[in-house]
Amino acid sequence: MLATLRTLWKALVHRNRWERDLADELRFHLECRVDDLVRQGMPRAEALRQARLEFGAAVSYGEQCRQAHGLRWLEELRQDLRYVSRTLRRSPGFTAAAVISLALGIGANSTVFSVVNALVLRPLAVERPDNLYFVEPQIRTNHSIPDYRDLRDRNRTLAGMAAYAIRVMSLERGAGAERVWGYLASSNYFDLLGIHPALGRFFRAADDRGRGANPYAVLSYNCWRGRFGGDPQAVGKTVHIDGFPYTVVGVAPRAFHGTELFYWPDIWVPLTMEPRIDAHDLLDARDSHIAWVIGRLKPGATRQQAAADLSAISMELAREYPKEDEPQKIALARPGLVGNAVRGPVDAFAGGVMVLAWLVLLAVCANLASLLAARAADRSREFAIRLSIGAGRGRILRQLLTESVVLGVLGGAAGCALACLLADLLSRWRPTPDFPGGFEIPVDWRVFLFSVAASLAAGILAGLGPARQAWKSDPNQALKGGGTARRGPHALPLRDLLVGVQVAICAALVACCFVSVRGLSRAISTSLGLQPRGAAAVSFDLDMAGYTGDRGREFQRQALAAVSQIPGVKAAAYADAVPLDGDDSGITVFRAGTTDFRPRNSIAVTVYDVSPGYFGAAGTRLMAGRDFTWHDDAGAPQVAIVNRRLARLLTGSENAVGARFRYDGGGEAEIVGVAEDGKYASLTEGPTAALFRPGLETYNGTTVLVGRSSLPEPVLASEMSQAVAALDPHLPLYRVGSLREMQRLAWVPSRAAVIALGAFGMLALTLAVTGIYGLSAYSVSRRVREIGIRVALGALPRQVLACVLRRLAWLVVAGSCAGLAVAWLASRVLAHIVYQASSHDPLILVAAALTLAAAGLGASLGPARRALRIDSASALRQE
Amino acid sequence: MEPTAELLPGTLDLLILKAVSLGAQHGYGVLLRIGQISGGGFRIDQGALYPALYRLERQGLLGTAWGVSENNRRAKYYRLTAAGRKRLRSETDGWQRLTAAMAAALAARPGEA
Repeated sequence: MLATLRTLWKALVHRNRWERDLADELRFHLECRVDDLVRQGMPRAEALRQARLEFGAAVSYGEQCRQAHGLRWLEELRQDLRYVSRTLRRSPGFTAAAVISLALGIGANSTVFSVVNALVLRPLAVERPDNLYFVEPQIRTNHSIPDYRDLRDRNRTLAGMAAYAIRVMSLERGAGAERVWGYLASSNYFDLLGIHPALGRFFRAADDRGRGANPYAVLSYNCWRGRFGGDPQAVGKTVHIDGFPYTVVGVAPRAFHGTELFYWPDIWVPLTMEPRIDAHDLLDARDSHIAWVIGRLKPGATRQQAAADLSAISMELAREYPKEDEPQKIALARPGLVGNAVRGPVDAFAGGVMVLAWLVLLAVCANLASLLAARAADRSREFAIRLSIGAGRGRILRQLLTESVVLGVLGGAAGCALACLLADLLSRWRPTPDFPGGFEIPVDWRVFLFSVAASLAAGILAGLGPARQAWKSDPNQALKGGGTARRGPHALPLRDLLVGVQVAICAALVACCFVSVRGLSRAISTSLGLQPRGAAAVSFDLDMAGYTGDRGREFQRQALAAVSQIPGVKAAAYADAVPLDGDDSGITVFRAGTTDFRPRNSIAVTVYDVSPGYFGAAGTRLMAGRDFTWHDDAGAPQVAIVNRRLARLLTGSENAVGARFRYDGGGEAEIVGVAEDGKYASLTEGPTAALFRPGLETYNGTTVLVGRSSLPEPVLASEMSQAVAALDPHLPLYRVGSLREMQRLAWVPSRAAVIALGAFGMLALTLAVTGIYGLSAYSVSRRVREIGIRVALGALPRQVLACVLRRLAWLVVAGSCAGLAVAWLASRVLAHIVYQASSHDPLILVAAALTLAAAGLGASLGPARRALRIDSASALRQE
Repeated sequence: MEPTAELLPGTLDLLILKAVSLGAQHGYGVLLRIGQISGGGFRIDQGALYPALYRLERQGLLGTAWGVSENNRRAKYYRLTAAGRKRLRSETDGWQRLTAAMAAALAARPGEA
């Protein structure tokens, strides 16, 4: 094999020398033979003749040598490439159309693939990533720290386990505090992952000296470069995190962004520092599920064994601690996307978009194939001539395939460039300004390999049909029939089939696109339970800035007053979170009079702690009852406002004002108001129960200030942040902007689906239009003579059109029906991603069908006009 | 002229390997040596030698180097590589088994079967 490659390499590089050597060698042989014959007494001229005779056909043997050397195919390939580049240059329009459509198709595919690669295929940048698993309990994704310790110490199947939790931290190094995303990580975290620091060292198990006693921080590479200017002296420096001093011990390697793809930390601190970060000590709280856990399998242990082992321990724990732990199974999932909880939907979405991209590529191939088929048909005479003068069918076939593969490779190269561009754009895109860390879409060897494979596959796929046509063509027929191949009336020619497929794919994509666009527009118009237009928000965390209960409450009041005084502000309030900002928290409540507090009697609700005036500021309508007042504080009877859904769940009617309910864990509250229903965690959620509590009853340092005014939203946001900064310039503010911006994350899935479907739909529509145009133009041009005869015999324009377009119309109708059927099935899946997407909407089916009909009509308009203008006299004179 | 035999398919490669194993040779030399060691028993189309040589070179069984011949001309010399030596040994064994079996079969007389 190596020898083959070497000789091939030599032959490629030293082509001329190789040929010269071959000639020299054969000449040497002849000369030696002549010398020998002369020595035996033969006259020289006679000896020369004799030697040539004995040698045989030198040219043929030379060719055999070349072949033996593996050079013949190379020579032919070179000829083919030259031939192809000549023919492609001769028809630049065709070449451009083919290359551009392939570039779009392959570019779309490679881009989608690079996203799939980044999210699904690429392992985490740790040692032996295949051996690392996310330890995922059945009920929720996280564990309490005591449970983690027990799982870690009692299991027999894992070589090690580490815990980590995501926290927002305030990082202070001299000038002011910044809000950063950090991981609380167990001290064996880095050792378990087996990564090596870019600078300094990591904290490790040996550093552990009990809670709060190892204030070490590890910086991410980005944080080190961005916030510390890449200063090598950063290691050893002291920084303040949430007001407490930490020593920076090291910097993580550049490629390592933590163990969750969507949460890139700026900083890691040991889990034992949790009491400092959270302001409550949860290290021994078995009922506080705060950490995600990863583990490595022991050599020889399987994933199933480990899952069974951990589940058994979990059952044990539930028996030992019946109050805190529920009996639950534990699974091992691939790490990176919070186990299967997030990975499932992400995988499904990525897979769905990949399928779409393939469909588009298939349409591109069909388009290219029909273009190539038309060319092949036009060239059938040329092929026939070449066949009759002795060219091999295989050679012609290979030439056609070379042509389509060359087109595929050209289109693939352009597509790859396009994908690099798009992947770079996507890598820089952030759904919200506050999005933790980054989202990396690298164009690596997998993407490259995929593009190459897609290009070659597209080239071969598109070339096969036309090649088959050329293979089967009969030179006699082709020459006699003036190039028109005869076929039976019922045969479905390849080109028709290809256009049908294109139309079907296009119909499916257009319909899916309409379904999701309509869903999105409905989502925009349906009530979110608040009115984002005209509202802006500023967030800050008083706990991080060192405020305690009373001072914090006072500051919240002052900030609210300052914002209310901004000219033009009509309403202002604060809350611990606002709906759809991705920071929703939940509790459970019971109906009044419940005596059986088992989970099946509980009602899960999303809960918000809001100040008086919140409903006016957020634009949430109160259906009945009253808003909170400044007297609804800790000293007053507990009151609450519920949404309509919760009112119905608690009392059976929406007239719930005056009714009471119980909190899980004790305490009752009176319902004083009923608010409209809304969306809280995601746009696609079903009706959700929500509960609003007076923010004055319980203090919460996480504060979202909401203001509503007639000012433009960005202006209001910046004025609000100035007003707050005037009160405390050191308080880090985040998520400053319109309410809509805060909620942007909630719109990401729908938007992504609409953009992807829209882009692919447009692409498919363009392809279908060109395909239909190509077919109709071609069929008109092939039948000029026939139409001329028909016109001469008195055919009416209507009949001419019918004869040209009937077949096409059938193709469009059949293709559309098939496509719409596929779309109908696909939109059941879509409904999970896009809010209110529904395929049972006759409007969408009608709209998609109309779009395709219009596309078909538009595309065949030109050729149809040409068919009508055919003048029988000149048409018959042709040829 | 002595009676000569047609080459069986595949035997030319073996003959070339054997000839070259006796010392590096150029193409014409290989031809002469085959004639010499076979006692002139084979009829070989002289040109047919070269595709075989090139094939064996590509398979890595023969190495090549340009040198100067005994009559002072530039000539391409073939020598056996390690892989070639191994192939020659295994082919020789195979061939001997084949001829022994053929000989035994053809020597059989009525009554022996």
